[in-house]
Formats: sequence, C-alpha cells, structure tokens
Amino acid sequence: MKKLIFPIILLLFLGGCGSKAQPSVLRVALPWSDMVQDPDSNYYINWLEERTGLELQITLIRQSRSEEYLDALLSSGADVDVVMFGGDFTISREALEPYIASGQIWSENGVSSYDNYGSSVRGGAGQILWINHEWLEALGLPIPSTTEEFKEVLKAFASNDLNGNGLADEIPLLGCCDNYAEDPAEFLLNAYVNNDSFHSRFDPADGSSLTAGTSAWRKGVSYCRSLCEEGLFDERSFSVNEEQFCELVNSPLPLVGAFTTASISDVIYPVNPEVMARYMHVAPLKGEDGAAYALYAEDAPAVGAVILGRSTRKEEAKKLLSLMLTEEASLIARYGEEGVDWEFSDGRDVSIYGDASTIVTRSYIRNSPQNKHLNGIGPMNVPERYLRGVTWNGLNSDAEYIDGRAQMSYSKYLPEHIEFHEYDPELSAYTDEWLKAFLKGEKDIRSDEEWEEYLNGLSRWQ
Amino acid sequence: MGRIPKRAFALAVSAILCLGCGKTEDSLPAAADASVYESPEELYDKALSEDVLIVYTVSTRAVDAKDSFEKAYPGLTVEIRDLRSPNLIDAVEEDHEKGLANCDVVICNDNSGDFKSRLVDTGIVLPYMPQDIGAHMKEGMAGEMITFLSEAELLLYNSARYDSCPIDNIWALTEQKYRGTIYMPNPLRSFSTYAFCGACMQHAEELAAAYEKYCGSPLEIPEGMNAAEVFWSRASENIVFTNSSDEVVEALGSGAADFGIGVSSKLRLKDLGYDMEAVYRLEPFCGCRTSVAVMLAADSPNVNSARLFVRWLLGEADGKGEGYKPFCTAGTWSAREDVADGNPVPLSEIDLIEPDQEKLISDREHMEAFWSGILRQNNQEK
Repeated sequence: MKKLIFPIILLLFLGGCGSKAQPSVLRVALPWSDMVQDPDSNYYINWLEERTGLELQITLIRQSRSEEYLDALLSSGADVDVVMFGGDFTISREALEPYIASGQIWSENGVSSYDNYGSSVRGGAGQILWINHEWLEALGLPIPSTTEEFKEVLKAFASNDLNGNGLADEIPLLGCCDNYAEDPAEFLLNAYVNNDSFHSRFDPADGSSLTAGTSAWRKGVSYCRSLCEEGLFDERSFSVNEEQFCELVNSPLPLVGAFTTASISDVIYPVNPEVMARYMHVAPLKGEDGAAYALYAEDAPAVGAVILGRSTRKEEAKKLLSLMLTEEASLIARYGEEGVDWEFSDGRDVSIYGDASTIVTRSYIRNSPQNKHLNGIGPMNVPERYLRGVTWNGLNSDAEYIDGRAQMSYSKYLPEHIEFHEYDPELSAYTDEWLKAFLKGEKDIRSDEEWEEYLNGLSRWQ
Repeated sequence: MGRIPKRAFALAVSAILCLGCGKTEDSLPAAADASVYESPEELYDKALSEDVLIVYTVSTRAVDAKDSFEKAYPGLTVEIRDLRSPNLIDAVEEDHEKGLANCDVVICNDNSGDFKSRLVDTGIVLPYMPQDIGAHMKEGMAGEMITFLSEAELLLYNSARYDSCPIDNIWALTEQKYRGTIYMPNPLRSFSTYAFCGACMQHAEELAAAYEKYCGSPLEIPEGMNAAEVFWSRASENIVFTNSSDEVVEALGSGAADFGIGVSSKLRLKDLGYDMEAVYRLEPFCGCRTSVAVMLAADSPNVNSARLFVRWLLGEADGKGEGYKPFCTAGTWSAREDVADGNPVPLSEIDLIEPDQEKLISDREHMEAFWSGILRQNNQEK
C-alpha cells in the first residue's frame, strides 16, 4: 500500500497545480461545402482529433479559385498549417509547382501533397449520354441506338411542346465546353472514330494514330454540324459555363432532352431526385459505318491537401494527413460512420458494379447535407475493392447506382487494350478550336479547302 | 386498442367524428371505412391548409401521378421518395419508432410478407378505401391492405436473340449453356423475387414433377432439401444476381442476358426499345403473382392530402382519373373491375403461382439461410 501512496500524491499534486495538458492545435483551411453541415461537430473531424490528439481549428474557404486563395493566404500573416482541397476548390499539380519551388508549400523527399483517391472507381467510361425518357415515352419513341435515330429523336424533342408550357423552349441537346465529358460533340464523334479527347485524340488502341485527321472523324464532325444547323444541338452549348448548363438541366420545368457527363451527379443536383428520375443512360450510339466507342477515362488522384512551408507544426500536420490516407479513415471519409451509415458486407448483397460486394450502405450520405464526413474533401485512399464493391442503398435516385448501371452498359464499348498517348495541350487546343469552329459554322467542314487547311496545321503532330 | 398506435387511432376516430358518420365495418380499421364519404372537393379544401405531401414509393410511376395530381389540385405539392421495398419498409418503420411524421402515403410491393407483418399488422400503415371507389374494386383487393395493382414476377427472354421462348420447362434454366446469361434480382433485397423464390418452395412437388417430364427420370433430392432448393441451387450457377429488375431488363436490352426474372411492370420498357418478351406458358410455372399496395401512414400529418392522393392513385370514382393511368401499362393488371388490364394477356392465361404470405413469413428464417448460402457462394466466385 505504501508503494502506491507516493505516486497517488504525486499525481494529485501534478493534477492540482498544473493546468491540464492542452492538445496541440493544428490550423486547417477547409473548403466550404453545403454538403457538410458543421465542421466543428463533424463526425470525421472529431474522429481525426481523437485519433491524433490534435485540436483541429478549422478555417472555412469560401471561394473556388484556389490559386487566388493561396496567393492571398501566403501574402497574409494568417496562421494556417494545412490547406485542403476538394469539391469546388481544386488545384492541379502543375498549379502547385511554383508554390513548391518557392518553398511556400512544404515538400520532403518528393512528397508535396497528399492525394485524394476515393471519389470514384478507377477507370471506366468517362462520358455517358443521358436522355429524357419521359419525353421519349410521351412521344412513343424507342431509345436511339444509332446517330440517325438520335437525330430523329432530337427533332421530335424540338417540335413538340413536351414540357407543356405552350412555348417552343425545349432544348433537344445541350452541353458546355468547360470539360470534354459535358461536350456532346465528343460523345457523338465516338460513333465514327475512337475520339479520345482526354489523350489529344490519339487512338487508345495503339497510342500513336491521330484520329482527329481521319475521314471518319470528319464525317462525325459533319454529322454534329448538321445537328447544329437544324437547331438540335443547342448553340448555347458553346457559350454557357458549367454552372449555367447545370441550371438548365435542373430546371423544375423540363427543358433539356439530352446531355452528356461523366457522372450524373456532376450535373444533376443531389437534392433533385425528380429531375434525376427524368433521365436514363443511352448506350454508345452507332454511326453510319456501325462504329461505336466509349471514351475511357482513368481519374488521376486529385490533390487532397498541402502543408504550408511556413507552418511550425509540420509534424502534427503530417500525422493528420497520413492518418487520413489510412483505410480506416478513408472509409469514414467516403462512406461515413461504420455501423451507422455503412457496414462491411456479409456477402449476401450485390455490388453496384457487379463485383464482389464489400460495403453495404445503410444511409447513403454522399452528396447530401450531412455531418459525418467532408463529402470528398481532403486526402483519402479508398481501396478499389471497396469502391467497386459498394452495394446499392435502395434509393432509385442514388447517383452512384445510376452511374454504375451506365458503366456496366458502356463497358463493352471500351477499348480492350489501352496504350494512351500523352496528353498534348497544344495539339488538344488546336483540334478543340477547329472542332468548335466547324460546329459553329465559322469553318465549313464540308469544304475540302478548309479541311485541308485544318489538316495542314495538324500535320505538325503526325 | 390492440396494435393500432394511439395517434393513428385518434386520427381515424377524429376523421369519423368530424364527418359525423360513425358507422364502421367490423372487419376494417376506421381509416378504411368505406361508409365515410369525403368528396374530393371537401378533401381538397382541407388539404390546402396542410403541408407538402410525402409519398414513399417503390414505383417511379408515382412521379407521373404526382404531376397530374399537382395540376388537378393547384396549391398542393407532392414529394416523391423512390425506394426499394426493403429500404422503404425500414424507413417507414424507423420514422414511426422515432416519432417522425415524415411520410403520408406508402406505395409498396406487399409480396414477401414483410410489408404485412411489419407495417400492416403493426398499424404503422392503414388502409383507406372510399366507398365510391371500393364498389369497383376486384375481389380481395380492398381489405386490411389496399392492393391497387397486380403484377407478376415473371420469366422474360431476349427477343432480339430468340423469335420465341427457347424453353418450355423451367428446368432448362439449369442447363450449362445459359451460364451467366440469366439475370435475376437478389431475392433477399427484392420482395417480388423473394415472393417467387418462396412460392417455389411452396410448389416444390410441381417442380419435381416438371423435372421428371424434362429429364425422363425422377429428380434425386438430397436429404434435407426439396425440389425447389435443388432447382435454385442449380439455376443459381447460371444466374447473375442484380440489385433490381431495372438491371435485369437493361441486361436483356444490351444483349448480355438470354433470360431475366423480374417484375412484369418493366415490360412497359419495351416501348423504349428493350428487346424482351414475357414467358406466359412454362412447365410447371413461369412466375408468381405479385401486387402493389397503397396505404396511408398512420403518423401522417397531412391526412386530407393523403386521402385525396390515394383517391387520385385509384383513378377516382369512375376509374378514369389521371392518377391510375401511369400504372396501367404492359405487365400490370388492374385492381378495378371497371378499368381494363394494362397487359394484353390476362392473368388467367399465364402459368403463375400464388405465394402464400403467411407461409412466406413463417419460412423467413429458412429462406434467408438458404439464399444467404447461395449468394455468399456467388459473391466468392467473383
């Protein structure tokens, strides 16, 4: 007993006269998301604090221009250790380079950022055509399977007052030029030739044949131009930005007949299940010569977080970000609280992608207002077996389930052997610019002279 | 008071008292009292002071009913939550347990016995059958549950690949040549598929006899199994399990499947160009009859809107209302005597079996164990 008395007295003394040890504070800049209710009481944030013993002081980033934000942050005296990325606030590796080179962003042994690899399955169709099946049903038309049928459907969309408002305001086909996935021309060209815009239009089958100069590509562009000429491919597609494009698709009054995107959730707001229910995927269309390809995309991991070079708490920052990359943390970051929002599959369920089931979602909270995780913001590394093994939560408007079914339908149109050509920004800019000019009628795709002019410019890369 | 919750009881009683008409049929809960007449105009008037009507449904066709309802009754708003049957039942039950009045009307497949045992028998949902519509319902459609549509879990075949159904006996589905080309929803997640699989257990002797016709010799049934279990054990080696009937028809449409087993109402997708046909004649049967129920949530805070919507779904007094039309499509059979079936072939000319719901409920544990084994095996082989 005597042996115990001294330590007890010592503990009492220490506990009584010293202040309770405070956890180290780490200041984290986190992009604001309307899908994350309150970071301070967020389940994942609290879990990270408990596991690391750190107190995370969150500063919300309320803008989407990441470089502007970094410039302002670095020129100010703001006390921030870690900047996270995700949602509308993203940054490319190239854009990070100058900050790393100047030491403003910490780098050690070649590591300068913590990746986010968990938003979607790795590899699959990067562009899906979605069509308003309510309009098809109203017209008694089948889902188009060829470019010819598609044109007839678009004509019917244009010439009937399908939203019943007495105005000819239906938009048969809409897109935007902010990214390839949302540009329907890219999709339609795949009915003629393997038009891999993600790799500067080199054929992914061999990685060396430039398809953008072939007669089949020209035929495809000509088809797209005919849709523009007839007002079926809406001219706003060349001027609206992604936000305006999404607004039109999400209109409570149905306006848009067809559009393309990588994931339905990129365009249709998650709070809009009734709009989601309007659209169904269409398998790749066959062109005049029977070709039909799907655009393959393999998402590179996004930048999830960086540590500022001036941070005096780099070890703490590394501890936090390394933890976020573990499987345990990543599953929370992706699916929420284990046992409440999801559980490991007991093997009786069927995965969305037809693979072995691994995760059963009880409450699918991604892309909906919640306070369990950061809705995809920050670093994570969700193993592929979980991403592909997730099961359906039974909600018909679940975007991942809708995407999964589309992916299964597109899988047989993907290239069997892939040899990607490196993306060439200069070449892509050249073909993109000409394609747009052909579609808008600024250049005449049917004119051999103008086609030759285009080919002459293209010869630099052939 | 029995199993009916206080709030539901109070709601039903107050409805009767307010209308000054207390006569109730002995066999029905008060909310289903067909003698209590409230005209659509009266309901609409009262509904205008209520909140947004929330409908939990297993059918996307409810969205069409919502659209026409909102047009017919300006000022009323309907929110549709489209869920798979097991998830819908979980959600309604959970709402009720937590005292959350999140739901007003429930449209659910009532085939596996879960709907009856968990929501109907517990009084979490209540029937509502106005007398002017009840008079037109087919026998057995309006009781403790309101069945407003008959469907079937049915064998479908790929009509792009086959001019006519290439098989005439269900045991042909166990042939190796169909490996990986038969698509069927997970019976532990799809109530109508569960009902069919469960009904097969109840008709095991017919399956044994069909085997003998098919192979010319009696089926060897291992001890502890029945013919239905032998059939499903063998057929499951060929089956690709899916999450829903939508995936089944998509597989038929894309050419991945030779056969599908799915809910018959998906036959309406033929209009969208899906290449599939129903199998109506098969030895010993090609599917089982299923049905869709519409009920009031006992906790509904918007009871007048809910009743008005149920009337709408049921096609109003004359059966010509817009709300019933979206459901009267290929692969469905009307619950009303005065409304024609959506399907060209009547139920009486289809080799369907009828699941015994009480037996499905009592067999639940055995069925779960049997199908869990099959599904786990299937999962491991991926």
